[in-house]
Amino acid sequence: MAVSALIIAAVFVVIFAVFAVFDVVTGKRTKEKYRIRTALTAYLMLAPAILLAFLFVLLPILYSLGYAFTDYYLLEPDNIKYIGFENFTRAFSEIASGGTLYRALINTVKFVIGVVPLQIGLALLLALFVNKPLFGSKIFKVCFFAPVVISLSVTSFLWLQILSPSRNGLLNSVLGLFGAEPRDWLRDPASAMPCIIILSAWQGCGYQMLIFLSGLSNIQQNLYEAAALDGAGAWHKFTAVTWPGLRSTFVYIIITVFIGACRILTQPMLMTGYMDHTVTLSYYMYQQGYTNRWVGYSSAVALLMTIVIGTITLIQRRVLREKN
Amino acid sequence: MEKAIHKNSSLLKNKNISSRKAIELTVYIVVGVILSLLFLFPIFYMIATSTKSESAYASSAGTLAMFLPDLTNFGEAVKNYGNVFSNYGIWRYAVNSFTYAVIAIVLNVLVNGLAGYVMAKLNFPGKRFLSFMIIFLIVVPVETSIIPLYSIVKIMLGLKNTASVIGVVLPASISIFNIFLFTQFFESIPQGYEEAARIDGANTLVVFFKIILPLSKPIVATVAVFCFIGVWNDYLWPTMILPRAQEGQWPLYPIQSALTTIQSIQGITTGEIMSALIVTSIPIFIIYVLAQKYIVQGFGTAGLKM
Amino acid sequence: MKKLLSCLLMLTLSCVVAFSAVACGGGTTTDTKSGEVDQTTGNTIVKIMFHVDEKSTEGLAYKKRIEAFNAAYKDRKIKASATYTARVQGAAGYEAELLNNQVEGTLADIITFDAPNTASYAKSKLLYNISSLVSEDVQKDFYSLNTYDGSIYGLPIQESSAGFFYNKKIFREKGIDVSAYTVDNPWTFEQFNAVCKSLKDAGVTPVDMRLDATKDETATYLLYPFIYAAGGEFTSQDGYTATGYFNSDKTAAGFTFIKNLITNGYTSYAIGPTDFFSGKVGMYLSSGWTIPDLDNKYKEFFANRDDWGLLPYPSSAVAASATGSWSFGITNNHHSDKTAATELLLWLTSVESSDAITAATGMIPARKSVNKNWAEGSPEYTLLKQLETSGKERPVTVAYPTFSTCFNQVIAALGTNDVKTLLNAQADTLQSEMNRLKQK
Repeated sequence: MAVSALIIAAVFVVIFAVFAVFDVVTGKRTKEKYRIRTALTAYLMLAPAILLAFLFVLLPILYSLGYAFTDYYLLEPDNIKYIGFENFTRAFSEIASGGTLYRALINTVKFVIGVVPLQIGLALLLALFVNKPLFGSKIFKVCFFAPVVISLSVTSFLWLQILSPSRNGLLNSVLGLFGAEPRDWLRDPASAMPCIIILSAWQGCGYQMLIFLSGLSNIQQNLYEAAALDGAGAWHKFTAVTWPGLRSTFVYIIITVFIGACRILTQPMLMTGYMDHTVTLSYYMYQQGYTNRWVGYSSAVALLMTIVIGTITLIQRRVLREKN
Repeated sequence: MEKAIHKNSSLLKNKNISSRKAIELTVYIVVGVILSLLFLFPIFYMIATSTKSESAYASSAGTLAMFLPDLTNFGEAVKNYGNVFSNYGIWRYAVNSFTYAVIAIVLNVLVNGLAGYVMAKLNFPGKRFLSFMIIFLIVVPVETSIIPLYSIVKIMLGLKNTASVIGVVLPASISIFNIFLFTQFFESIPQGYEEAARIDGANTLVVFFKIILPLSKPIVATVAVFCFIGVWNDYLWPTMILPRAQEGQWPLYPIQSALTTIQSIQGITTGEIMSALIVTSIPIFIIYVLAQKYIVQGFGTAGLKM
Repeated sequence: MKKLLSCLLMLTLSCVVAFSAVACGGGTTTDTKSGEVDQTTGNTIVKIMFHVDEKSTEGLAYKKRIEAFNAAYKDRKIKASATYTARVQGAAGYEAELLNNQVEGTLADIITFDAPNTASYAKSKLLYNISSLVSEDVQKDFYSLNTYDGSIYGLPIQESSAGFFYNKKIFREKGIDVSAYTVDNPWTFEQFNAVCKSLKDAGVTPVDMRLDATKDETATYLLYPFIYAAGGEFTSQDGYTATGYFNSDKTAAGFTFIKNLITNGYTSYAIGPTDFFSGKVGMYLSSGWTIPDLDNKYKEFFANRDDWGLLPYPSSAVAASATGSWSFGITNNHHSDKTAATELLLWLTSVESSDAITAATGMIPARKSVNKNWAEGSPEYTLLKQLETSGKERPVTVAYPTFSTCFNQVIAALGTNDVKTLLNAQADTLQSEMNRLKQK
């Protein structure tokens, strides 16, 4: 293992050197000057970070990418064979035949489409709410952040009680006051994903609220004053001043929430278990890689997922940035 | 600032504005309280449950009573909280968690801060490649990497027994995302500060520690708080790599690992588990409340341009 | 500038040095290797890994037995060294640890493992074949052995059995008599339905079948006997065929029985996990671990054993009840000499240990010759009798994790879907996993 790590490290250094030389060569053309001393200082100061990042971030990723082309079975670590693209063929045929991976893909897409606007919208509303310099706003800010900190197993257990299918379940009994029939929220394929979306948005929006708040604090107050002098109403102030001012914050939030949403795992796991109507890509990977012990196959799915998410993120960056 | 605007406008208009303000404030507080309840109900549930015996808990489950503490039986609450400390000794694990978190925070700020500083302020060949790597690594999903990470820590680095603690702290002290945050923040610090120092002959490292870090309280606080929450709440990884407690020795588990194992002890009641969860959440809350002012600034000044 | 460079060099160097020093330190400070000789005392060390916390009642019982072992084997220079940890949810962390320990050469000589994993662990050579190490007399004295492909790979620590806990107060109040239904004379599916009907007619939710416990092994463990009772099966003998077994008509009949309980309103997914304990439900399907809970935790609702009782599983074509628990196994680690490990294994599964451990856990001793003085008619007695007469273990297959997932999926979807369709779909999934494992 140490040998393979050293080889990877060497390859990494070579790639880095190639890029560095390329920078120096093109730098000469663009008259950009590199001072040796500055460069040395930079490398030395980067060394701890690069060393740690190589060991604990890059290397694990590369190894699991390597596993994607093998038949690594968790219980037989000394019997790993290279099997080419077999794992990928399996994944694609599973999608084509409408198997669990297909369900996982559809569910993840549903989740992302639902949670991204909901969570960001909620976060923005909360941020605007606590941004008012009124009595209590600071306390509210702490309260709204609470779910981010509380352990997921506690909140999930509570949500299970709230969404209990019983007539006396909290949600069912409230809806019962309006004459609604009790529903089995999490076992019903129609309502399970929406419930998980709502609970995830609730759980996570406090964090984005903070980031929106910081974006809000960057907006110059005199822009509001100017808008007020023009006789702008609250809505007009929002569209003319707040929204444009939040643009870069918004880009950042949309990308991070999107990536986080694509990786959704814990909520369906704790709320429903491994069920066709709520299984997500990460959950599928977890099940295949850990429970069923197919580490190789699971890594292949992870690689595919990385490619898809990465591509979408890069497109998002492009599209959202160009307008800037 | 906005307060000033409000003041100005109230001077311009007549007095019944102030009664309108009072109504507005009341509406604001009422809405705020309702919203807060929506976000705080798990805490009410935890507190309420920590005061209950198993019977009381069972009969309140599924009704609104599960959010209300059992005031009839105060002794039960005392017993629950007492057991958490006397029988399960959770304070030892809390000390562990605290130690790991503090070391991870210091390393985090040093390692990622230095890297962020270089990426923001220095020019060197290969910088574009590293910037690309940073963005790339933020985007890559890392779910499957826990098995190779385990092998790296245990086999390649050979961190066993007490040395496994390093395997908890070191991976927690590198965060590509924090390098990104630091870079963004440092870019917003005007060049003038450093140049003044450099004219005085200070070298890069001195500039970083003497000039840059003191100006960077918001980002340091942000990184520290999220690092703390991360280390404090993590259980799967520490449980995997840390050795089991040996008799007569100080245990190495952090608090969350201990809690998940304590939960499986036969005979422990839900009330006791909740007491433990509450006690262990208190540090996070305190730290968050103390640092929240800086967190907002930290993200804000960083600008977060991806 | 020189100062700066040297300063930075120092920093990086110290970082690297500290790092590698610690890493090497970690490498060299490994404690005495299992099965190897401790240089200072001359003892052969046998390492054992327990799956429970050392402060739990079970952990304390193990600890006592280990201490007794060390005292007894002092002269023979064998010393047991134990580690205890409660297993975190999910097998992955535990298995990754086992396997990495094996690669590192630090795998304990004896591990504990959940019985359904026998096939996987044996096939992957994680466990050592102990058939020849355990005498035939001892083998016969166990209620069950962990076998795979005709060989023994583990000895159960203790046994478990499950049944229907019922609220005697409710039964008395509604005038329902179940005293005739004993293990020797188990009730039938029809009689079970009749009792449910009387409870329902009396306005009580009849039974909590634990249909909501499909997120882990609980539902599988409690409900699989119904399928066997109906004459159904899950897999072929070798554990590599599911088609034609998992979706056979008789298997479907077993699941249909459970489905009918839902459609008739006798049970539902909506029953809360504590509803039985707060007196809202008539019967509760659970394992022996519920006995101490009912004895101690819910005094307001169950003051003493007059208030609750235990009924066996109902039978149909045959009688079948849940069994299975954790087992001890010798690992296939780098120590070829298994003498010391065998001594410890036999010590921990001896009649004496079996008695001591189950006295603490309240479960059923794994060995027949342990003297169990439970009063006839007591819940413990019922469970023991049931284990002896109708205990049937879960299918032995390397695809067990997938089997468990498939079973759970069927149970969770049973309320609203056609049984045969569900079973066909899951049989396909299970079969393809089995094919895949056969090729590996």
